[in-house]
Amino acid sequence: MSQETTSAKGIVELRVPADPAYLAVLRTTTAVLAARLDFTLDEIEDLRIAIDEAGAVLLSHADRSGTVLCRLHIDGDTLVAEVSAQTIDGFAPARDTFAWTVLSALADDVQATASDDRTVAIVLRKRRGGSGAA
Amino acid sequence: VEFDVKITSETPLAWVTVAGEVDVYTADALREALREAEADSKQIIVDLLEVNFLDSTGIGVLVGSLKRLREGGGDLHLVVTQPSVLKVLRITSLDRVFQVHADLDEARSAAEAGASGADKASR
Repeated sequence: MSQETTSAKGIVELRVPADPAYLAVLRTTTAVLAARLDFTLDEIEDLRIAIDEAGAVLLSHADRSGTVLCRLHIDGDTLVAEVSAQTIDGFAPARDTFAWTVLSALADDVQATASDDRTVAIVLRKRRGGSGAA
Repeated sequence: VEFDVKITSETPLAWVTVAGEVDVYTADALREALREAEADSKQIIVDLLEVNFLDSTGIGVLVGSLKRLREGGGDLHLVVTQPSVLKVLRITSLDRVFQVHADLDEARSAAEAGASGADKASR
């Protein structure tokens, strides 16, 4: 089952099983949070898709007995989403895929990092109030 | 995840009507439906009017079907009005690869033209 906690600093963490069935939970939670933070409908839709793509990329290499952690917080006008999972090989996500193309087009910034313990994290940022705005 | 797919045969074309969310979890069911439709039709119309979410995995499934159909002289037609689905097609530049229609009648005409070989010049 999923669990959700909110700290006083407005950080939301959601941990779900590393199973495609739970991607919808990540999408919905992110959308609800973005709506509460006054993101526009278009921006919310972009985030819904971007989080899904990040989760799908991680699931393609994830240890399926593990979990996917989605950590969301707001930094000024930017929603920062860090999606991470324990993977079987500590892979670096390929950039020449539809998933990465969609992810990088919908987020303002995307980065992937791998730790020594083969945890891979995709960090995406989405600015409120329209991409390209100052 | 809310998802439904059904196939309607209307020789020489077939409709694959999809509703709900297409993601990694539901994409396999879409792939199976498309393969089933491909077994007896070369012109397939995928009605995505009731799809409110489509990610790159779903796109990949549609591209796979498109390739198989075109190799056999057929085609895959999409009916899409949902802005987020159109956006994903645009981002991946696949709006220029698929025949994308805004309504069912337009898709039917294009598929029928394809079935009679009349759309060869339009590629």
